[in-house]
Amino acid sequence: MGIEQITEVGQGLAMLGKFLGAGLCMGLGAIGPGMGEGNIGAHAMDAMARQPEMVGTITTRMLLADAVAETTGIYSLLIAFMILLTA
Amino acid sequence: MKFSKREKILLILFIIAYVVVGIINMKELSKTPMSEAFKNLGRRWIVNIGGFRINPMTVIMGLFIALILIVIAYKMGRNFKLIPDRKQSFFEYLMEFVYEIVEEAIPDPKLVRPTFVLAMTLFLFISLSNLIGGAVPGINVVGYEDGTIEKITLFTDTWPAPTADLNTDLTYALMVLVISHVFAIKSKGFKTWLKGWIDPSPIMLPLNIIGELAKPISHSLRLFGNIAGGAILVYILSYLVKYFFLPIVFWGFFGIFVGLIQAFVFTILAIAYISSQLS
Repeated sequence: MGIEQITEVGQGLAMLGKFLGAGLCMGLGAIGPGMGEGNIGAHAMDAMARQPEMVGTITTRMLLADAVAETTGIYSLLIAFMILLTA
Repeated sequence: MKFSKREKILLILFIIAYVVVGIINMKELSKTPMSEAFKNLGRRWIVNIGGFRINPMTVIMGLFIALILIVIAYKMGRNFKLIPDRKQSFFEYLMEFVYEIVEEAIPDPKLVRPTFVLAMTLFLFISLSNLIGGAVPGINVVGYEDGTIEKITLFTDTWPAPTADLNTDLTYALMVLVISHVFAIKSKGFKTWLKGWIDPSPIMLPLNIIGELAKPISHSLRLFGNIAGGAILVYILSYLVKYFFLPIVFWGFFGIFVGLIQAFVFTILAIAYISSQLS
């Protein structure tokens, strides 16, 4: 193989690493927030079924907790974008 | 919602301009291939002024939002009525809502008002900025780090929100951190505040320091990630439908929802950090 083909193969490998890394980062990073938000939603539903008069308060608290649980997913989204677009 | 005649005319003119510019954009800009269009997504236009690297769109939009808030506050403050009309009752409800949260959270009655002022200012600025960055079609500036502008396109993206820039968010988060410690010194006295660092035992000192330093980082990155990620998604979506009409309106719902919730979360966390220092 000549030097040009070797650099081409290297560039291809770098692209492969970028795409695999971004995909893995987003996919694995979405598991935790998904489970967390599911738990929050389930328990909020439980609480609403038990005390229907508290629906308003529980909904606001649920959205707040969702936003906090989402944070790690948002971090991985940012890192996926950084890998894909800037590096 | 009710509009006056002038607002209706302005809105119709805006929609007509949006459609016309959208058709031009669809014809001209959709010829560029995908890899070419997304090449500059992570880049920002930066200007060097006297050794400082300044992000001009953040400064301009920040001043613009501050101006909008000042005008609204001036108009509202001019004529307070005993029997409020719709706008006044909306703002009164908003302020009461935040004030009750602050009143519950802050133990020291002297510091309730300053905390409320801080929290309400943060909420108004961040929510307006998120709404502009999430739902209103605007301008897209592609520039480089040495201050040159490559191109400016109208209505292909939302307005560049100040909160989609980490500089703004980190400034606010650090401000909340410093203010919480100043309030703690004011409320508890210097000696009790110093003792708070070695709270259960002196072994915990490094952990306490790391805990304090982690607060502004997670506080600011949460807001930045949500708004910047939303902005990038709007841009990609508007490329996929050839810059025409649908994308921003379609994404607007998510922009409004996420933006308002994140502004609220930022405010609530600021109140919680201040109150955790006071107790």
